[in-house]
Amino acid sequence: MLELIMVIPLLTGVISMFVPVWIGRGILIVTALLHLQLTVFGWLGKITPVFPDYFAVTHEGMLILMVTSFVFLFISLYAVAYMNEAEISSEPIYTGCTLFFLATMSMVTLADHLIVLWIAIEATTLMSAPLIFLNRSKTALEATWKYVMICSVGIALALLGCFFVVLAMDLGGVHVPISFSSLGTVADKLDPVWLKAGFIFLIIGYGTKMGLAPMHTWLPDAHSEAPSPASALLSGALLNCAFLGVYRGHQLMYQAGLGDFSGNILIGFGLLSMLIAAIFIFNQTGYKRMLAYSSIENMGIIAFGVGIGGLATYGAMLHLIHHSLIKSSLFLSSGNVLLGYGSKLIDKTGNMAKLFPKTFTAFFAGFAGISGFPPFGIFISELLIIMGAFQQGRGLEVSIFILALILVFAGASRLVTKMCFARCDNPHILVKENLARTLPSYALLLASLVLCIWLPDSLYETILSAIATIGGGVNG
Amino acid sequence: MIEFSHAILSLSHFGDALLSLTVLSVLLSLGSNRVRALIKIMAFQGIVVSLIPFFLEHHGEMSTGSIILLQIMLLVKGLIIPGFMYAAVQKVKIQLEVEPIVGYNASLFFGVIFILLAAFITDRLHISLPVDNDLLMIAALTTLASGLFLIMTRHKAITQVIGYLMMENGIYLVGTALAKETHTMYVVEFGVLLDLLVGIMIMGIVVHNINSSYDDVDTALLGQLKDN
Repeated sequence: MLELIMVIPLLTGVISMFVPVWIGRGILIVTALLHLQLTVFGWLGKITPVFPDYFAVTHEGMLILMVTSFVFLFISLYAVAYMNEAEISSEPIYTGCTLFFLATMSMVTLADHLIVLWIAIEATTLMSAPLIFLNRSKTALEATWKYVMICSVGIALALLGCFFVVLAMDLGGVHVPISFSSLGTVADKLDPVWLKAGFIFLIIGYGTKMGLAPMHTWLPDAHSEAPSPASALLSGALLNCAFLGVYRGHQLMYQAGLGDFSGNILIGFGLLSMLIAAIFIFNQTGYKRMLAYSSIENMGIIAFGVGIGGLATYGAMLHLIHHSLIKSSLFLSSGNVLLGYGSKLIDKTGNMAKLFPKTFTAFFAGFAGISGFPPFGIFISELLIIMGAFQQGRGLEVSIFILALILVFAGASRLVTKMCFARCDNPHILVKENLARTLPSYALLLASLVLCIWLPDSLYETILSAIATIGGGVNG
Repeated sequence: MIEFSHAILSLSHFGDALLSLTVLSVLLSLGSNRVRALIKIMAFQGIVVSLIPFFLEHHGEMSTGSIILLQIMLLVKGLIIPGFMYAAVQKVKIQLEVEPIVGYNASLFFGVIFILLAAFITDRLHISLPVDNDLLMIAALTTLASGLFLIMTRHKAITQVIGYLMMENGIYLVGTALAKETHTMYVVEFGVLLDLLVGIMIMGIVVHNINSSYDDVDTALLGQLKDN
């Protein structure tokens, strides 16, 4: 009964909307734990789907589900403490919608059917929109409107992409269920022209959700206006799920022998996202917007790595894991900063090292991690991507890649230094930091650190099996 | 035999007429500045677009499932969504779309360009299409492009929603133009319906909130979030 992984959050989400706030918080934590437990069972192959036509256990799906579930647990722990301090009038909506959101994201990772995957990604938009609108301010409304409008158009185009893939089946005379696992076995018979057209629309559609430039415009607004636990979920979990849609498209193209075509498109989108993030991060005034642009950059890195193939694909998968861990941690810390200073503007913050030492430690360590400094995992993943790209003889692309990395680091470090060390005249501290709101950030960073030093065999093998389907591997 | 083939011929002519009506409604909506008129045009377009698949030669016999889906499609596109939007407009008293980013005459001109582009693309794609129906593809692509155009160039939230609706109509037409019903299992109909219902529902909620916090549904008011 693999489907329990998505049914349980759905049910508990409904319940939590009708019970008092403190019970709702309990339900949130218990569901997160239960979800992680079921995910581990699924990972170990102990549970199988009841509807094998629509759902399946795939390596890449399980990898992203595990990351989502792990990150969700710590975000929930943080959210409970955060909700205590922040004045949010509609907490049951937050609890209910995050649980629904978890359910839909789990559905994305388990979906095998082309249309079920599409429905699941559509449902993530539906369930996360209320989270962005939680503050009910005018700016939150604007962010929600942009999010809903841009992502709906994107998802509609992805549907068109699905139609094209179905057409490619028709023309190729293929009669199998429209699921990725069965399409993969007959991929070489699909009509290549329409398959290519389908992939382009899929990457535009799901890429919108993933935050690839130039369809990223909703992302900074949504991430900065959502309450911090929700931003952490959007960045740490949702973007990966949208990436899975793109990944499955690329997988199908690779199996059909068109991997070069889709790989080059991925590289193009990846580099463009990185460059755009590098340009826009430079003059940001809000620290949550800065983190959001960093997410765009990192999604670009993942797309780039997957597009390059070989060793870089392995790097991209590692990058996905570490980005989720570190970026969620950063967004959680940014929630503490927001509570402390009461403003999203970098100018209103300062001297964090002295005023909020615990938050400062998490935030600065997270920044070091996301910029690719050891001992955090992004150091390794970026190194592997660069090595992989050189192995494939992609000199020009990799120089742009490195340039963008440097630009993003330069832009972000200026802002982070300002936040952490600049003098803050007459600091007006609204809420003091506490351990309940810093421990989850530490835990996520620690996870990245541990995975950098010691990668469990089972995780290593899962990554290898996942990337083997698109021609990736550690041996180049 | 002669009468039979004649009947098929006239049926497909009827389908072509519906396609022309679709393109006409697209052009009308590009040139219209009255929100209520736009909603009426969309209701009309919804009905026409839902009927088109049943006048296509390649679809052959109708199954029970497709008849039921047709009824739902007609109901949703022709009545429920336009009715919903009409009620919303009555409530917030919007009459005119003011100063679009691209003027009405220019929009009409763009509409004509979309038709030409669609014809060009269809001509190029001709080789690998399963059905020989150029008009359908042209109408579909025009509707799709014009819908996107409306979303991008209009200020009022409700007009943007209308653009989204039009884009979905275009996608539905592309879907029916391309997919053979036999093994897609109503993927097209189902997908589009779901997309419409979900999209419109959530947009409706946001429009309602925009209206209650700004007393208007002008998305130009939403300009506070930007990069410097």
